[in-house]
Amino acid sequence: MSAEPQVAAPLLSVRDLHVTYRSQGGGVPAVRGVSFDLAAGETLGLAGESGCGKSTMAGALLRLLPQGTTVTGEVLLDGEDVLTMKPGRLRAVRWTEASIVFQGALHTLNPVHRIGRQMAEPIEVHDAGISSGEQRRRVEELLGVVGLPAGRADDYPHQLSGGQRQRVLIALALACNPRLLIADEPTTALDVMVQAQVLQLLEDLQQELGLAVIFITHDLSTLSTACRRLAVMYAGRIVEDGPSREVFREAAHPYTRALSAAFPVIGDMRFRLNPSGLGGDPPDPREIPPGCPFHPRCPVAESRCATEAVELWPTSRPGHTAACVRVLGADA
Amino acid sequence: MITVDGTLSPRRIAWQRRRRAVAHGWADYRRSVPGMIGLVGLLLIVGMAVAAPLLADASQLRAVDSIGNPTWATPSEFPPLGTDNLGRSVWAQFVWGARISLLVGLAATVIAIVLGSIVGILAGYSGRVLAAVLMRITEWFLVIPFLPLAIVLAAVLGPSVRNVILVIGITSWPSTARLVRAQVLTLKERLYVERSRALGASSRYLMTRHILPSVSPLILASLTLTVPVAILSETTLSFLGLGDPTRASWGKMLDEAFSSGALSRGAWWYYLPPGLGIMAVVLSFVLIGQALEEILDPRLRERRA
Amino acid sequence: MTFRLVGLKVLGALATLAFVVVFNFFLFRVVDSDPVASLFRGRNLTAQQKVELRSQFGLDGTKLEQFGRYLQQTANLNFGRSYTSNEPVMKEIASRAWPTIALVGVSTLLSTVFGVLIGIAAAWKRGSATDYSATGLTMATYAMPDFWLGMLLLTTLAVSLGLFPVGGISDPSSDATGFAKLLDQAHHMFLPALTLTIAYLGEYALVMRSSLLDTMREDYLTLARAKGLRDVVVRNRHAVPNAILPVVTLIAINFGFVLSGAIAVETIFSWPGLGLLTYDALRGPDLPLLQGLFLVFSASVIFFNLVADLLYAYLDPRVRTG
Repeated sequence: MSAEPQVAAPLLSVRDLHVTYRSQGGGVPAVRGVSFDLAAGETLGLAGESGCGKSTMAGALLRLLPQGTTVTGEVLLDGEDVLTMKPGRLRAVRWTEASIVFQGALHTLNPVHRIGRQMAEPIEVHDAGISSGEQRRRVEELLGVVGLPAGRADDYPHQLSGGQRQRVLIALALACNPRLLIADEPTTALDVMVQAQVLQLLEDLQQELGLAVIFITHDLSTLSTACRRLAVMYAGRIVEDGPSREVFREAAHPYTRALSAAFPVIGDMRFRLNPSGLGGDPPDPREIPPGCPFHPRCPVAESRCATEAVELWPTSRPGHTAACVRVLGADA
Repeated sequence: MITVDGTLSPRRIAWQRRRRAVAHGWADYRRSVPGMIGLVGLLLIVGMAVAAPLLADASQLRAVDSIGNPTWATPSEFPPLGTDNLGRSVWAQFVWGARISLLVGLAATVIAIVLGSIVGILAGYSGRVLAAVLMRITEWFLVIPFLPLAIVLAAVLGPSVRNVILVIGITSWPSTARLVRAQVLTLKERLYVERSRALGASSRYLMTRHILPSVSPLILASLTLTVPVAILSETTLSFLGLGDPTRASWGKMLDEAFSSGALSRGAWWYYLPPGLGIMAVVLSFVLIGQALEEILDPRLRERRA
Repeated sequence: MTFRLVGLKVLGALATLAFVVVFNFFLFRVVDSDPVASLFRGRNLTAQQKVELRSQFGLDGTKLEQFGRYLQQTANLNFGRSYTSNEPVMKEIASRAWPTIALVGVSTLLSTVFGVLIGIAAAWKRGSATDYSATGLTMATYAMPDFWLGMLLLTTLAVSLGLFPVGGISDPSSDATGFAKLLDQAHHMFLPALTLTIAYLGEYALVMRSSLLDTMREDYLTLARAKGLRDVVVRNRHAVPNAILPVVTLIAINFGFVLSGAIAVETIFSWPGLGLLTYDALRGPDLPLLQGLFLVFSASVIFFNLVADLLYAYLDPRVRTG
């Protein structure tokens, strides 16, 4: 959390979020107690390996998880708890307050509807009186914002390239002028050149429109410039949270250190001289080890790591917390 | 794989793995309630068919031996299932008729599956010309409507159990062929086939050691779903008078029930049991087939969770 | 959709038809070297009669001559004369076609509509009581022979309760005309149509359910919900249009097959259509009639397969534009 005094209440406040999937052998806890605040206009990067629960958490924010999934805790969007909203209120809030940019795979968009129709849909849903001409105008305006020609509105999703589809999804997410954008792996399926373009686009939009953005990815290096703040998730919990440059360069948690080391930056001599990767796999959500969930893979684990519960503790730097006993220092 | 003491050859390891996979699959299968219901049902019916001589005397099937019996007797008058218009025991017909339905269903399916698998594997594996020709033939066979073809063939070949089996087998292989071919095509793309090739494996080796084991589960599931179709087809053919007139079958029972006026007489004991028997057999196979499909198709498995 | 695409498909269909025509010829000749003997087995024929019959059936001359004659006649839609009625085969078939088309048409319409609705309800509320009862119902109807179902309906509704006629297409004693006659025919068609509807709706329900279940896993549904759409709208506007594509082709394909599959049901209800005609032809066996019927059934399957193919290509934008 920022050290600056908060002028207004945070736009998004997540408190002790738990998400458990229903499955044959019992519940699968994908998110095990996540809490964070997000101010208006703030950008938060959320990184972690696949299976750490980051996409699940994103889905939970707007209650988009499959039926039967248990979600507890609080998700306060502008003071209102999304998790206890009535269905009508939830539908009104979706897309107008917060929207999601999904990964631009082929089936994220409906294959049998034209692009324009899919983009006009939320506009029409949330603004009953709007004319079709006005809808069309808005759609073309949105396409222009993301750098696509207006003619694309008449195409079908399969006629667009991956990068174009991603831009469409971004344009779509902006359709109802939300204040929060949740970007779930928006660049993962793209190749590097297109990735850079899309990232740049997101950054520009965020600044122009003053959006709050949660940027979810497994690729830590993309986050270091795109977001001001960075949080790292492991085994369903946030294990580190702080200003992005600090977290990336001088990580307090051994996992974050390993994660950033796994993505070498071209030109940075440190990687040339000290290549490293992280052995082992993330734990099965059904069988999370006691104590710190990371301790089996941790290169600097101590004996107390297997027994003592960990929480996000403040580090020596302001606004930077980490869930590691080493942060507590020798006197812990 | 070189072992220290040399007792475990690669072949033994492969077999051990297969045995474990089967045991695992069986444990999975047992958990499926519909699958177990289907299996038990099928075993009961097969048991009844096999035990036919013990359950009902074969002589009761023949009109000449049933002269002493009352005609159109209700089940209470002539247990357990009454008699038909010629005084023959309905129970005997039912129990012995089960044999034909099951026999034809299974035999025809085996022919269809074997033929379909061979064509499918060849079509998937061969060069473009042969594959194209085979697929064209398969599509042509798919287009020809089953019943008219069966009628014509049975009319020309003569009514007999063997011919019915042949007819159903010949008309059922195309769907298996298509299924198998699709699977073979995806397998061909898989890297391990390419790598085996690079190591010098011949086509025959690939087909038997790699492709066949992978396709087998698919064939098995397809088999359990083809049998009900075959049984229903046999019933229809027998009903139309194309089955063997000398053997009792459930379809023939329905044919005779219809033509002897059992419907207007309300002789439910004659036409109800065969239909129920067919339903029971078909449902058993369908339940087994669905349970197998769920176990063997990993995509369906994740749907459950 | 280009002309080239359509043209290729039509060409393919014609090729298949050609194959069937040839197949039809050999079916009766090659399988048995002396069709006359086997077809008239059990009847004592003199040598003279055999020669006459052979000539009558066009079985004289070499195989090639017979084939040539056959092709020529088929092109003129001349399939000879029915053995039992001595009328031209095509005339027989034409006069009996409409009852079957009416019966199959109505049944297909009803079973499609109800089957699809049941399938949608079952898939959307997966695992609920609705789903289990729908799946149970469809499995039960799939497992029973269609004509057996007809028998049950006949005994209960016609014989016992007397609500419907026992068979035929119209009341032979009445001489009603116009609308009253139509009503009478509809009354007679009720039970066979009900039989076929129930017998086939299971398949549509199962396919629709399966297709919708596959569609329900797609990401664009999550996106639709995230936009704030109501559940019913997500289902009807996004899920169903995608899920229904395979069902549409199934309907078209099935139409071709049901046309020939109604043989047993028509027999039960004495419905004077092509099915009953086939059953009677079997008794002979009326060779020319069977041959003509076989060709007509096969041609209808080929035709409807083509329709299904073209329909799918038109409905799926990925094929239409891609």
